[in-house]
Amino acid sequence: MSASTTHNPGHRRTWLQIAIYGAVCLTIFLVPTILDNDFLLNKYSRYLVFGILAIALSLSWGYCGILNLGQAASFGLGCYCMAMALKLRTVPVHTGDDGLPDFMVWNNVTELPWFWVPFHSLPFALFAGIAVPTVLAALVGWFMFRARITGVYVAIITLASLVVVNLLIIDQQRYTGGFNGITDLAQLELFGLTFDAYSRNSYYLVASVLAACLFAALAITKSKTGLILQAIRDHEDRVRYFGYDVAHYKIFAFSASAAIAGIAGMLYTIVMEFASPTFLDVPLSLSVVIWCAVGGRQSLLGAALGAIVVTGTQGALSDSGIFLQSWTLLMGMIFVASVLFLPKGLAGLAELAGERLRRLGRDTPPPVKTDVLGPVREGEGLA
Amino acid sequence: MTGYLALDEVSVSFDGFRAVDGLSFSVEEGELRCLIGPNGAGKSTALDMICGKVRPTAGTIFLQGRALNRLEEHEIARAGIGRKFQVPSVFRELTVRQNLDVAHSRQVGVWANIARFGHHADRDGLEKLAELVGLEDRLEVPAGHLSHGQTQWLEIAMLVAQDPRVILMDEPTAGMTVQETRKTADLFNRLKGKHTLIVVEHDMGFIKEIGDVISVMHQGRLLAEGSVGEIEQHAEVRAAYLGSGGISGA
Ligand SMILES: Nc1ncnc2c1ncn2[C@@H]1O[C@H](COP(=O)(O)OP(=O)(O)OP(=O)(O)O)[C@@H](O)[C@H]1O
Ligand SMILES: [Mg+2]
Repeated sequence: MSASTTHNPGHRRTWLQIAIYGAVCLTIFLVPTILDNDFLLNKYSRYLVFGILAIALSLSWGYCGILNLGQAASFGLGCYCMAMALKLRTVPVHTGDDGLPDFMVWNNVTELPWFWVPFHSLPFALFAGIAVPTVLAALVGWFMFRARITGVYVAIITLASLVVVNLLIIDQQRYTGGFNGITDLAQLELFGLTFDAYSRNSYYLVASVLAACLFAALAITKSKTGLILQAIRDHEDRVRYFGYDVAHYKIFAFSASAAIAGIAGMLYTIVMEFASPTFLDVPLSLSVVIWCAVGGRQSLLGAALGAIVVTGTQGALSDSGIFLQSWTLLMGMIFVASVLFLPKGLAGLAELAGERLRRLGRDTPPPVKTDVLGPVREGEGLA
Repeated sequence: MTGYLALDEVSVSFDGFRAVDGLSFSVEEGELRCLIGPNGAGKSTALDMICGKVRPTAGTIFLQGRALNRLEEHEIARAGIGRKFQVPSVFRELTVRQNLDVAHSRQVGVWANIARFGHHADRDGLEKLAELVGLEDRLEVPAGHLSHGQTQWLEIAMLVAQDPRVILMDEPTAGMTVQETRKTADLFNRLKGKHTLIVVEHDMGFIKEIGDVISVMHQGRLLAEGSVGEIEQHAEVRAAYLGSGGISGA
């Protein structure tokens, strides 16, 4: 059998994956053509944002084994960066001399704090929404991964970092709006377009960014760097003896994940029209883990769909008003069930189904071109 | 210290127990050195110190006159040292091809590797290598599905793909059939000269096929050094192996 030297199933798999990812993105883009309801579109935009957040966690947890329970910190920082920029663009109605945000006036702040000033520039805000979470993650990652902290300790440290950021934002009410967050925002205007939260524009913006993040993350995982990340997930110590600096790779995965989460956060502010400390609280952070587990953390698309399905279900149930109380319980049960019975989540289920289908096709009388079947089936010939 | 790779009075203790105790020996470039000794003699620990897995509590290890002690594991690997572990250590969730790709580590940086797609390792070379170790039909199989012997071979092939100047092999033929062992001996004889090898082994038949100079360790120290014939006649070596079934049966 010389098929293995002429044919690489890994390649075929990649193209199939690209096709499936593309098809899903296309479907998402087509939703507004059949759905003419801005209220629903806004709701779906929110689910898509959570999909982006799940992609971020899949990159660090699913591909590199870094269980980041503080993902909501990156997300929230993105939210606040966008909110600060949009806040400075509102026309002060009741209060706010010299464009001072209303909550600052209520808190007797007389001058715009220095770190607010650059947010007058929208490009700066867009940059900061990515850079702030990325740099913070790189710092935390540097301390953790240089010291070779792994496993559950990573989970604890990231969770603790999230709590710190959250408390800081709540505590600094004069500059952050505290518990109330930052409300009454202007609409984002970019490239001559206005992104009203309840509009197709916003939906398309979120969908485009989702597609971009999905394919960017896919490119990372398909690169040699992505392969090393998976090797680290599998057997971290072994990787070192091939000359790779494991800490570098982990810091990269952790920061890239934070960057994507920051982008998701900026979008969330646009579709929610405010920023609040609940965008970076512990329950949200834990939810991301559940979405990834349900969808399949080792699949970027699986994780994204997991987030969309779970939050979509949650939305539908809370609309119907029956289940609202028991939602947390239900969510916990879904999580346990998927961990126990579907370790690879819905993505694993789909893969299994695909495998079955292919075998079914193979049982029908084989065509003459046997080499297409590849070399791996050799041992199964007698079955 | 002279020699390509040299250990100078190297010691390490675990909770007060001296696993390696003032060990000195050196290996010339292109040499294949066999390291033998009864169970618990400290052979694996000696290799652990060379590759940085264990830090010596005293003494220095030199590669071409450069001290390795202060380097991290990945820096030692970049300096040219590759290691096969006693318990075969491969990436079980990754396919055989991916394992070989990871091992092929000419480029080690995150940014250098992020723009590299598809066949990272030179494809023909990789497939020839897989053929060499009999894994050409298993390239797309997760390494966790391989038999023990195949796993051993995969790790050996990974070291060839890594192409380090010094290769440390810890019991490469453990769990292999007689035929497989012979094939491994062929491979090692081919690696000799191009690489500097230190091979820890118990199988005297295998050692006779590949070894020039043999170093014998006992209780953390170097007991003897010489040709196969000299070692087999060596009185102290015979005494050290007493109770463990003799030198060839160990
Ligand atoms: N990490 C460790 N902690 C404590 N003791 C250790 C450790 N590693 C090795 N030892 C002890 O050091 C001694 C030497 O172990 P080592 O594995 O180097 O022996 P070896 O010569 O490779 O033996 P074998 O032929 O059985 O592989 C043994 O007594 C072992 O129990
Ligand atoms: Mg040993």
